[in-house]
Parts: sequence; structure tokens; C-alpha cells
Amino acid sequence: MPRYRDKTKKAEIMSLEDAVKKFMHDDVVVAYSGFTGFNRNPVAFAWETVRQKIKNIHVVDRHGSVCTWLLNAVGAIKIYETDWMGWGEMAGKLDVNLERGYKAGKVILEDYSHGAMAMRFLAGAIGAPFIPYNAPLGSDLYNPKYDALGKAGLRGKNFRYPKKKFIQMEEPFFGEGDTVLLPAARPEVAVIHVAQAGDKGTARWRGVGTIDKEISFASDKVVILAEEIVPEADLRKNPESNQIPYFVVDAVVECPWGAYPSSVPFYYDYDAPFMRGMDAASRNEADLKKWLDEWVFGPKNWEDLLVKLGSKKLLDLRADSVTGYSTRMMRGKKPAPRMKMPLSVARSGY
Amino acid sequence: MAKTMEDLMELIDKMPEEPAKPGEFILPELMAIAVAHQVRDDDIVFAGTGLPMVGIMTANFLNAPHALLIYESGICDGKTMHVPMSVCDQRAANMSSSLGGLVDTFGYYLQQGFVSLGFLGGAAIDKYGGVNVTSIGDYFKPSHRFTGSGGNSDIGTMARRVAYIILQEKRRFLERNEYTTTPGWWCWDFKKNEWKPKKEVWKGTPYADSGPVAVVTNMGVYNFDDKGEIYLHTFHPGVTVQQVKDNCGFDLNVSRVKGETPCPTYKELFVLREFVDPELIFLPQKVEYPAKLKSLIG
Repeated sequence: MPRYRDKTKKAEIMSLEDAVKKFMHDDVVVAYSGFTGFNRNPVAFAWETVRQKIKNIHVVDRHGSVCTWLLNAVGAIKIYETDWMGWGEMAGKLDVNLERGYKAGKVILEDYSHGAMAMRFLAGAIGAPFIPYNAPLGSDLYNPKYDALGKAGLRGKNFRYPKKKFIQMEEPFFGEGDTVLLPAARPEVAVIHVAQAGDKGTARWRGVGTIDKEISFASDKVVILAEEIVPEADLRKNPESNQIPYFVVDAVVECPWGAYPSSVPFYYDYDAPFMRGMDAASRNEADLKKWLDEWVFGPKNWEDLLVKLGSKKLLDLRADSVTGYSTRMMRGKKPAPRMKMPLSVARSGY
Repeated sequence: MAKTMEDLMELIDKMPEEPAKPGEFILPELMAIAVAHQVRDDDIVFAGTGLPMVGIMTANFLNAPHALLIYESGICDGKTMHVPMSVCDQRAANMSSSLGGLVDTFGYYLQQGFVSLGFLGGAAIDKYGGVNVTSIGDYFKPSHRFTGSGGNSDIGTMARRVAYIILQEKRRFLERNEYTTTPGWWCWDFKKNEWKPKKEVWKGTPYADSGPVAVVTNMGVYNFDDKGEIYLHTFHPGVTVQQVKDNCGFDLNVSRVKGETPCPTYKELFVLREFVDPELIFLPQKVEYPAKLKSLIG
């Protein structure tokens, strides 16, 4: 929501453990960066959140990710506003732990559509209370009966909980049928994993932007996790490549490989076999417990987890500097062919 | 010496354009090619992960070389060298025209009306093309819970033409869905609590005439008539019309059936296997080429 600041924020450089301790608490309303389980998930932060046993988390999300998978694996999410409760696309579609929790009545799930969540974050980012969107009329998503937060008595609880899920109305300016008003998304904390952050807090990534800039501006506090902290002066040489200005950033954590097993374009690729292993483990509770003990509670810290993965794995996942992804990684049954250019372009141009 | 991709590329136009025989391909290959046939050269396509993406990439080599592909995460017209496993895969962003985010794809491209074809999946479909990807049973206490909309309902209502790929079973082809995630040609008017044509619910909006035009399943290919009702267009080789009807939860219109779904041609199979998914991610089984093709490939 629109808010005046008495003084400019000063981004604090801190450790992963301290950042989770400072910004996460029971009942926090949080949003994560990236796209599904594949791109720039702030995994290390969610991983540390699980280790610090934060509970009753309310996630406002553009869809599930490795972060929400980890939190659901220990039942840490209480309220989940999202449009897609999958997480791994081709490497594990549905979040089985979330489904289990939901069916047992432990999770409140508010369904929107992907475009609608994007628009809600956009409204939150630009300080607008709501935004009109041609959300799918006639879809049960916009059936007045299906308002999960309303059913739980949470509507209007405070400024993070809009009084209504949506309002369908006649489009008043041009007379173009009905449109839907969607409330702004207003999380307390945005957790954003990026490639580089300046020592003052300016942040940069390469590859798709998903909705991360909007999430950062929609939230009260912003924690940046970066593959590397670089001199702020260096990022100022090509400012058009920066996405998040430092004045919205509260904390910067340097966390190499912190998005594993999702990818950071031009740094490392996603680990699809590892994600398939997570999906398989979630199918029964004994396997899940074993997996969590091994991969979440076992390692001494995030670095220790990387040591456990081993240099061969990290080498295979390391992105090459031209394409931004790895061609050494086995994703299917055969290795990636060596390519010089996209063959559809070679064949018929653009 | 092993052939390079460039060597193989030279061979595309030498591949016979005659249909392969049953047994020389697997069903997902036939379905991917059936997807490819829905794409036009001037289309702007918004597609989901999996077979839709694979089919459209195949079309980019053959019948629709200039069809532009939008990926949900913000990628516009990526020219891929390696098949993406996700719509946010850096592989999909390769040599794209521009990279943005969700506001670009759902706002600037989709809501603005640029998307001419949406290609999506679904868990269940009704006879008017309404799709359920959310839940079965009571919404708040479901017996089955799926992933939920994602972009399905946005793309499925605002793209000019919409096509779905769905596994066909009696419990997935229904007179009426228990939960409609993406409305088809008939849907609820929640203001009046009436079930009515989408054209009336969406009257006055720029999207009133948009909706489903085709469905590809493991048994056949379907289109929609003037009333918005689904009908069988072709049935796949080895499947009978009766089997199709038996795997449908309502009285399916089969009066307009045109015969068998064409088998993929050798050229189409060659492109799909050697260029679109050579890593065997989406189509992990591969049937050997017949002898005459093997000798061509060398």
C-alpha cells in the first residue's frame, strides 16, 4: 500500500541465518521470486525458514515453487493464495504435501488465475488498491461461493486481507461488457533471489523477469539473496540491466547456489533429477521424513549442503556463458546435442 | 562418424512425406503432430509445457515456420536450440525478441488480444469445451485436487482460438464439470445464477467470440459446432468410433466424423525425434525407423 518513508532504507548485508531470524516470524505474509520450481527460487531462504521452524506462514504467490514445496513438506504454510499449487512442471507437477494438508483441512487455499495474481501484484506495486482485469467470467474461480478466506472469516482482518476476493462489475468507461476488479496483493516480506546485488542493494538478474519487480514493490520489506555481491559502482555502468533499485531493499544475503535445485540463468541450471527425487519422496511420509533429515536437517549449513551435492554435480549444472544454461546435464535419456544456432531459424529465418 | 545436427538438417527435405505405418510411431508422437497441425503460420501461440510445446516446436520446422510462441514467464518468440522443460527455462528464452514478465504475457500480449491460439492441458472437459483443472467433488473438501488454473483460465478465455490436449476417459469427458476452471462455449452467469452461452456472459467484451476450437486426446481429434458443442472429427488409428463413445461421459456427436486421424509422416517424425526432443525428455520411447529411412539417414 502507498506509504511515505521517513528516511531511505539502508540495505543491510547479513547472513542467511540472521536474515531469516530478522524477517520471518509465525503468521508472516510472504511472497517468493522466480517461476515454478525452475527459475530463481530463493530456496536457501525457505530451507533456513524450515530449519528455524517458522509456522503458520501465509504465502501470497504467483504459483508453487521449491520454496513452497519445502514449507509444505513440514506443514509450515497455513494460508496459500495462489493460482497453481503445482511446483515442478515436468519434474513433479502437483505438490503432494500441499494436497495432503489441504484435504486434511490444515491449509486454507485461495484460488486465483495466473494472470489475476500477476495483476494483483502489479496493483500492489503501483500503490493501487485494486485493478480491473478481464478475469475469466463464468469460471468457478469467480464464483462468489468459493471464497476461502471469506469462509475462514479472514476478510478485512487488516490491510493485507481485502474485504472481498473480487468484484464483478459493468465496465464503466467504454461499456465493454463486464470486467473484474481484483484487490492488490500486499505481502509483508518479499524474498527475491537474483544474480547480482550491489553492496548498496541494487539488484540485477538475467533471463525472465516473471513478477519479481512487482512483488518487491508490493511488499513492505524486501530481502535479496544474490549469487554474488558486487561493487555498487559496477552495476551503475549499465543501469538499464538493473531491475530493483536499492531504496526498496532491506537486506542483502550473499548465497551462491542459493536457488538450487532451481536455476539462475547464466550461473547454473535446474536439477530435474533431484526434483523428481523430491516428488517421489513426498509420496509417502516415511520417505519424506528421510529426505528432510538428509537434505534439510542434516547439513550444518547451506554450504554444507553444496559440499554434499559434490563438485561433479555442480560442474554439470554450471551454466555456460553464451546460452546461460548447461548442456552437460542429463535431462532425459540422451545427452544434449551440440548446437550452433536454433535450427528452426537456420531453416526458415525469424 | 556421427552426423552433426547440421548434417541431419540437410536431410529434412529428403524425408518422405508419406504417412508412417501404425507400429512405426508411438501414440504421444501422433498426438504431438496432431497438435502441430492446429498451428497456422501467422499464429501467435501461448502454450503450456509438455506435448503442446513439443507439437508447436515441430510446427515451427514444418507447416508453421513463422508462428510466434509466447511462454508464460515472459518470453516472446524464443528460438530454442534445446527443448525447454518449463515455460521459464532459459532454453526457451534463447534469441527471443524480448524478455519481460507476467505483466507482459498476460497484459500486453494476452489481454491486449494478440494471442491467436492458446494450447493447453486439462484434467476434465465438458461437452462445450469447459475445462476443469481444479478439483473433483466438493470444492472445499475435494476427493481429487489438481493444480488449479495457472494460466489455463486466462489463456483459455482470451486467446482467439483455444485447443486442449486431454487424456480421454469416461470420467474426464463430462456433460458438466463439477468445477469449471476455464469456461467453454457455455458457462455460468453468476450474477443471475444461470447456465448460458459464453457469448452472452461475455457480451460486449472483446473476447465474446473466442473459445475452444479443437481437442486432441489419446483417442481422437475433436472440433466444436456452431452451437459450441464438441464433435468427433477423427479417431486415431486402431481406435473405433464405438470405443470413443464408450470413453465419453455424454452422448457424443459422431455424425461429422471424417475418418482416421492421419498418421504422422516420416518427415514429421524425423523432425520431432531428431530436432525437437533428441534428449528423449518428453517422448522417452522411440520406435526404430523402417529400413528405407535408416538407409536415407545413413
